[in-house]
Formats: sequence, structure tokens, C-alpha cells
Amino acid sequence: MKEFKPLPDQPAPNDTIGPIPWIKENLFSSPANSIATLAIFAFFATVIPPLLDWLFISANWSGTTQAACTNENGACWVFVIAWSKQFFYGSYPIEEIWRINLCLIGLIAIIIASFKLPKDLRNKIAIPLFLMLPFISILILSGSWIGLEYVSTDYWGGFSLNVLLAAASIIVAFPLSFLWALGRRSDMPFVKSVSIILIEFFRGVPVLALFFMGSVMLPLFFPEGTNVDKLLRVWIVLTLFMSGYMAEVFRGGFQAVPKGQYEAADSLGLGFWQKTLLIILPQVIKISMPNILATFVMLFKNTTFLLIIGIFEMLSTTQTALTNSNWLGGHSTEGYLFVAVVFWICCFSMSMISSSIERKLDTSHRN
Amino acid sequence: MSEKPQVKSSPSFFNNPRNRSLIYQLLLLVGLAYFFYGIVSNTLANMEARGIKSGYDFLFTTAGFDILMSLIPYDATHTYGRTFVVGLLNTILVSTIGIILSTIVGFIMGVAHFSHNLLIRKLAVAYIETFRNIPLLLQIFFWYFAVLAALPSARQSMSIGEAIFLNVRGLYFPGLIAESGAGIVYGAIAAAIAGIFFLRRWAKKRQNDTGQQFPVFTASLGILFGLPLIALLVSGIPFVWDFPELKGFNFRGGVTVIPELMALALALTVYTGAFIAEAVRAGIQAVPHGQTEAARSIGLKESKIMKLIVVPQAMRVIVPLLNSEYQSLVKNSTLATAIGYPDLFTVFVGTTLNQTGQAIEIVFMTMAVYFVINMSISFVMNRFNASVELAERN
Amino acid sequence: MKRLTSVIATGLALGLSFGAQAGTLEDVQKRGSVSCGVSTGLAGFSQKDENGTWSGLDVDVCRAVAAAVLGDAAKVQYKPLTAKERFTALQSGEIDILSRNTTWTHTRDTSLGLNFAGVNYYDGQGFMVSKDLGVKSALELDGAAVCIQAGTTTELNLADYFRANGITYKAITFDTSDQTRAGFESGRCDVLTSDQSQLYALRIGLKDPSSAMVLPEVISKEPLGPVVSQGDDAWFNVVRWSLMAMVEAEFLGVDSASADKAKAEGNPSQKRLMGSEGDSGAKMGIPADWGYNIVKQVGNYAESFERNVGAGSPLKIARGLNAQWNKGGIMYSSPVR
Repeated sequence: MKEFKPLPDQPAPNDTIGPIPWIKENLFSSPANSIATLAIFAFFATVIPPLLDWLFISANWSGTTQAACTNENGACWVFVIAWSKQFFYGSYPIEEIWRINLCLIGLIAIIIASFKLPKDLRNKIAIPLFLMLPFISILILSGSWIGLEYVSTDYWGGFSLNVLLAAASIIVAFPLSFLWALGRRSDMPFVKSVSIILIEFFRGVPVLALFFMGSVMLPLFFPEGTNVDKLLRVWIVLTLFMSGYMAEVFRGGFQAVPKGQYEAADSLGLGFWQKTLLIILPQVIKISMPNILATFVMLFKNTTFLLIIGIFEMLSTTQTALTNSNWLGGHSTEGYLFVAVVFWICCFSMSMISSSIERKLDTSHRN
Repeated sequence: MSEKPQVKSSPSFFNNPRNRSLIYQLLLLVGLAYFFYGIVSNTLANMEARGIKSGYDFLFTTAGFDILMSLIPYDATHTYGRTFVVGLLNTILVSTIGIILSTIVGFIMGVAHFSHNLLIRKLAVAYIETFRNIPLLLQIFFWYFAVLAALPSARQSMSIGEAIFLNVRGLYFPGLIAESGAGIVYGAIAAAIAGIFFLRRWAKKRQNDTGQQFPVFTASLGILFGLPLIALLVSGIPFVWDFPELKGFNFRGGVTVIPELMALALALTVYTGAFIAEAVRAGIQAVPHGQTEAARSIGLKESKIMKLIVVPQAMRVIVPLLNSEYQSLVKNSTLATAIGYPDLFTVFVGTTLNQTGQAIEIVFMTMAVYFVINMSISFVMNRFNASVELAERN
Repeated sequence: MKRLTSVIATGLALGLSFGAQAGTLEDVQKRGSVSCGVSTGLAGFSQKDENGTWSGLDVDVCRAVAAAVLGDAAKVQYKPLTAKERFTALQSGEIDILSRNTTWTHTRDTSLGLNFAGVNYYDGQGFMVSKDLGVKSALELDGAAVCIQAGTTTELNLADYFRANGITYKAITFDTSDQTRAGFESGRCDVLTSDQSQLYALRIGLKDPSSAMVLPEVISKEPLGPVVSQGDDAWFNVVRWSLMAMVEAEFLGVDSASADKAKAEGNPSQKRLMGSEGDSGAKMGIPADWGYNIVKQVGNYAESFERNVGAGSPLKIARGLNAQWNKGGIMYSSPVR
């Protein structure tokens, strides 16, 4: 019997494999594409070398004062290095900085824990801790209530303030926005209209106007003789702002939960709150996760606007540094670039996480 | 509220969902009323104690400060009320420019994501990920203090034919000064726009009825330029050019685009464009691949596939996203205050508030304006969205 | 739910502080610190350094008050404020003193419920131009573009001055002084206008300071000074005399180095100021050696001036109007007796 012997595979045609066809396919597939490719290359060739030179090669790295920046043709990173403690921690006393670090680590730990812990532990420990975290952080940072040295909010600042304000706002906004979203779906006409007004107000008004409200109007709203800390006012405003956006995110989440889930819960005889908290809420949060993260990124970037009302977050610390009489003159590029890079790293990694969650949740079979 | 099967013919008062919802709402009403009463009475007491004036009388007093750019006549002798209008118009101007440009940039970059050229694809991704993730305020600083400030000084302006000038003080180009008889030309432009509108309707109806296509785009262009041109010739060209000229310190005459406007519009365009590009990309990806394949199999050209098959379906995803992007663009335009573009925020919440100290009235008016602008955008976009969805059903 | 409520209440209570019912002086003594409203960053007047330490001419007023009342110049809580919030902060009792280059004007003094406790810097609005513009006087600036920092009085002064002289101009308003400098440097405007004290700071910040010059015209009077709430005379006196003590110390020739000597063996006026004679402190309800503490810890006015804005600082501002009255200036203090 003659055995079937397949012929050996033909090698792929020479004009489809190897680097040259790859380049041809991806970069020079048509005259227009070729021109575009060359133009892009030319652009990078002219821009990148001087940029690298300014950024690294000719840059001034060592020293502690402005006088150390001797090379005019390079960036003065001395400025950023000298002010780095201010940029990250504000004027918080140096020996107490561990408290800020503790809060930041706590934040990260709780976020990781809420993903990794087994379910019952997560519900009993991670979630309550998560909701309490802003208050615990305030106790730790402020200090006087738990026997540490009191540090007034006037000394809080820098990048850690951006993070803490954003995190504290979103965490408090969680329950609040959930209530608003529920209110918006409610059958009770008055509850519904109040919720809609709240949500649309905080979504429709520029956050800068809200900050101004916090800084010049809110003090008038409180009884005479009381004064509410500026940071607290900003926190309130940020929380309300965030709640408006999150309520809409949650509304989308509610709509995405299949109707059968509600009906199944009803048929089990669960009450309204049992149904909402135990059946619907977990699904809503899961569905809304990417959008919640996107909203958080927006909030986080918006904390730089606090510069306009004189809160020493990272960007306004940079501006303050620029007006110091020992550092006058021309370090704004370095300062702003540094802030931009820090924010970019944070926001980019969050958007990466967000899209990876999105992909994980995406069980649709399109295409 | 959950409707429980009513076993008893008369449930207890509190278990009746209707009574219960009434009680809840009453509680909310009382709570809110108490809250607002507290705020109002505190505010009134505080304002009296601090000698802050209230009311809107300040709108009719003389402002006494100048504004860099105004679309309507304004100088320091006008009232605070007029500063409000000047600021509002400037806000609308920059928002409109931003919305138009960011849509164009967004669509180009969103489609570039599907380019055959690897570099263009990567560039589109790099653009989106860079500009989406840097705070807008920093981007405004970048465009204003790094890019536009690097332009040459007024005396070394770049110029095109001694008519258009670009320097660190702005972009200058010749303006048109209307003389008598210009009304005919304005009328012709209005007639051309109306004509195009009716032409489109007619062409669409004809295509629906007979299947024949009419070259609407070319015809529209012809009408848009032809009609005013004829009017111009008939009326004897009732316009004179007003060329910018370097006189003393600055250019005078012509039309000036100040760098603050350019920087803000650029920053808003690039920032919002990145979000729109992402929306466009998501929209196009949401169109099932089968649609493209089916279109190819019936022999449509590639360019027509995009235009007739993919984009109309992608619009269903894109339009709602555009709505919120436009709204945030308008809200973000308040950052003008950081570089001194005289928008509503800079002029009114900035200088006017500083001068008059009437925080409540001013912040309230400003909030109301942005709220109304955003509601209008939302209204228009919802109408647009409805038309996109209708097109899908046909 | 109850737990949550109590947590929120705790959070609120942290930020709330009731006060200002008793006198500010007692509050400050009880609290152990002076709450001082300063600018978020103004070279030479209130600025923060890399370590978060505040310094400046305005800051020294607060330090002097803390030294007088509490015996320690470091016991100051600095509250950085924007121009818009500054009066609200004072009125609501968030701060005890506002020392934030605030111009003493009639409206502010009479209708905002404020009292100006004195003047710590006589300023005036001026112009800076680029030298190669060839301008010698502000009157030649017709058609110029003017960079200006958004403020309260600067914009009005500018408009008044140019209108009175029939000159047209374009005002380009910036948010911060550093941006104003950047705008001037890039050529966005021909002229930069600001209070003279700031013009010097801005000029130093230029890449080439010698390329710009300050014009001789001073178009406004800007007496800058610390502000307190109206209706608290005891506190008003403390702030006013803390400022006076610095000026008086300079007049009497006492500085931080010679304070000990003046206290022990100075002439009668020196001893009265240093608190080793008389009961000036008791009359104000503060320690007897209040003057000594101010001079020892903060220095006299000349020291503060030179350290922050004068020869000892990068700004190098001349004393000018701010010299003692017997040296060509108008700084004059009432005697301590």
C-alpha cells in the first residue's frame, strides 16, 4: 500500500515575510502612506534630539539652590529636586510624613483587598473600611483626636493632597450618588424631581464655579461665628460634584441589570432595601466599574483646578515655588512638566486598569 | 417600591405603599425646607453683619475696567451688566470654536486608529493617551506659555503677503468694512443657506422616491459661493478691505485673534478631541464587522462603505458621548481664567466679583448661564440623536 | 446608620471651630497661636520656601504679633488666601489678622467691617518697559499692550490713569505674577504694570533683568497694611502696636542684636519699648516684654525690610518712602509711653 506523504510546506513567498515586506505593508502601502510615514519620521528626527539634550544631557541635576543651575541650555531639575518634598507632601512636618504615607498605603491596601479577599471577608471588612477610610485618614493626618501631634490642614498640600481629596470625595460620593440614582428611578414624584435637580445641577455647572461656591459662598451659609475649614468646604463641594456624575454612572448601571433580576428578587419576597442592596447593587457596581474609574480620573485631574482658589495642591505648590524670591525666573517649564508627568503616569495607569476591567467584564460576542 | 400582594383588604396605614411614599416625600420636603431656610437666614444675617450689599443693582453701575476682547462695543465707562454680556459672548465664541474643531480633530484621530499605516495608528493612540491623561490646566499653560509665547515679536511678525500677520500678540488678518448696499450681500447669503436647506430636502425626497442621486454637495457649494458673488457684483462690491498695519506699538486695523483665545481654543480642541477620538473609535468598533463585509460583497467602494454603512451606525454610539463631551468642553472653558482670556468666568466671577464683592449674585448668575448653555447643548444633541436613530430604522 | 452619623459628625466637628464670641486676644492666648491670612505667594511679602517655612514683610507682621502676645514668633498659623476670600476669611473669624498686601482704601475701611491697623509698606502702582522700546515716560505708551495681574485696584488705577491722559491701551490680565512676567518676557505686552514692590521682583525674574526698566511714574497710592475685624479694640491695639514697635525700634536704634543690651541698660525710651520700664504690656493685656520679644525674634522694621525685600534679598528694593521720617521716608511711629 502506498503511504500518503504530504509534500513539504512551501515557504511563504519572499515578498510577504521578513522585515522589508513588513515595512512595506505597514508603512509604505500607498503613496499617501509613504508621505505620511516620511513626514512623521522627519518630525521626530528634528524634535527629539534637542529635546533629549535639554531634558537630560545638558540638564542640571545636582545642587540645592538656583545658583547650581549653571547650564543655560539644559533643564534645571535642581528646582524640582529642591522642592520635591513640597510637591508631594506640602508643608506637612517632616517627622510626621509617615502619617501621609500610612494613609496612602492604607488606600492602596484596601483597594487591593477589595479585589483579592474572599467574598465574606470582603463584605465584612474591606467595604466598611473602604467607606470609613476618608474619616480614618483625617483622624490620622489631623492627629489631635488620636493623641498624635495636631497638624492643621493649612500644612496639608502637594500631590498627596490631590490623591487624598480625590479619594475621600469619591468614597463619600459612593453612597450619596447611589441614593441620588435610586431617587431618580423612584416612583415618588417629589423624590424623583429633587434627585434630578441635584444631579443635573452638579453635572451642568462648571467645577470651577463650584469651587468658587466653596471658597466665597459657603462661608456665608453657615451660622455666624462658626467657621468651616477651607479644605473641608472643598471636600464637600468635590463630593457633591462627584456624586452628580456617579449618580449618572449608576443610573446606566441600573438600566443594564436585567429586569429578571428584580423580578426574581421580588418573587423571593425580599423587601426593597434587601433587594436593592443585596441583589442589584453588586451587579450595578460591577457593570459600572470602568465608568466609575473614568469618572475618578476626571475628578483627579480636576483637583488641579483648586489652584484657582488657593489650595496648595501640587500645581499651586509649583506656582508658589515659582514666586519664591530665591527661585525667581524661568523654571516654570520644568515645574509644569514634572507635574504633567506625575499626573500622566497616574491617570494613564488608571485608564489601563479601567480598560482591562472592561475587557474582563465584556462577555458579549460581537464581531 | 416593591408591591407586595395585598392579602388583607386593608393593610395597616404604614404598610400601604401610597401612604408610605407620601410620608417619605413629606419628610424630604420638610427636611429640604428646613435646610434652605437655615441657609437663607444664615446668609442674610451674615451679609448684614459683614456689610455685604445684596441685589442686582450693581449690574447698572459703571464697571471702570477694560476688557481685552469684546464682540460688542465696550469700554471702561460701560456697566457691570455689560461686562456680563461681553464675557458671555466670549465664552460662547470659544466654546463654539472648540466644539467645531474638537469634533474635526476627534473624528480624524478616531478614524486614524483604523489606518493602514502603522505609524499613523500608533500616533493616534499616543495622541489619545497623552492628552486625555494630563490635566487640562497644564495643557492650557503649555499652549500659552510654551508654544504661543515662542512666536516672534510684533516687529518681526511672520506674514503672508503683508496682509496676514502672526506674532506673539496674535493673528491679524484683513477685515471687511461694509458700506451702503452691503445688505444685498447679507440677504444673498441668507438666501443661499435657505436654498441649500430646501435643495437637500428635495434631493433626499427624490432619492427616496426614484433612487436617483443628486450631487447635493457640489450644488450647495455652488449656491453658497455663487449667490453672494452675484449679489456682490450687482451691488458694486460694497466692501473695503481693512488691512492690519504696524502703528506705534501694535498692529491696528483688521481682525485680531488674540493668543489667549488661540491657546484656549487649541487646548480645549486637543483635550476634548482626544476624548472624541476615543468615542469615535469605540463607535466604529461597535459596528459589527459583518456590516463591512456585507457592504463589500455587494460591491460598494471602500470610501462609500465608511460613509454609508459604518459611520451612520457608529453615530448611534458616538452621539450620546459627543453630547457629554461638548458639555464638558463648555464647562472647561472656564479655565480661561488661568491665562486671562476674558470669558464669562474671568470677567464676571473674576474682576467684577473682585470689584463688587457680591459673591452670591455673581456666582449664581454664572452657574445659571452655564446650566442653560449645557441644557441647550443637551437638547440639540438629543434631537440629533433621535434623527440618527430614526435613520437606522429606515 | 447611627455609627455613620456619628462618624460624619466627627468629621464635621474637626473642621468646625466656634469662637470669636470672646475677644480675639483671649482666643489667641487660649489657642496658643495667631491665625494669619497671607498671600498664596508674593515675592518678598509672603512666600514659602522649600521647607514650607513662611517669610516676608507681611509675614513678619504676624510673627511680631505672635511674639508680642505669645512670646514666640513661630506660633503663627498661616492661611494662604486668594484676593477674593481674604475679607470673608477675616469676617468669619477664620483668621485673626489679614496681612496680605491689602491696600487701605476708604471703602474697605468703612463698609466691610474691617479696621486697618497701620501701614507696613507704602507702595504705588508703576510701569516696567523693555529698554529697547525707547520709552522714557508712561505718557508715551499710546496704543501699548499692558500686562496686568488680576487684582482689585490695579486694573481700576490703570484704566483711570490712561483715560485721564487720553491714552488707549490693551490690558492683558493674568492670574498670577509669574504668568504676568512670562507674558511680558515673551513680548505679549509692551508694558507691565503692578505695585512697584512687585515690579522689582518681576524684573529680577526676567532672563535678562537689565533689558527692562521701571518708569518713573507712580500712578496710585497703595498704603499696604495689616487688617483686623472691626469692633475688637483690644486686638486692634495689639496689632497696631506690634507694627509700631518694629518701626519705633528702628527709630530708637534697637535691633535684634542689641535688644538685650537695650532692655538692660538702654535709655528710658528704649527701656519702655523693651518693657523693662513702664507697664505698656499690661495696658494691652499682653506680657510686659512684648516689645523685646518682637525686636529680639523678628527684628526692627529696617531688619525685616532689608531681609525680605531690601539689600539682603534678591529684590534689592530701596527704602524710599518706607525709610524713617527723619531719613527721607514717611515711616513714623507714635512713642511708647
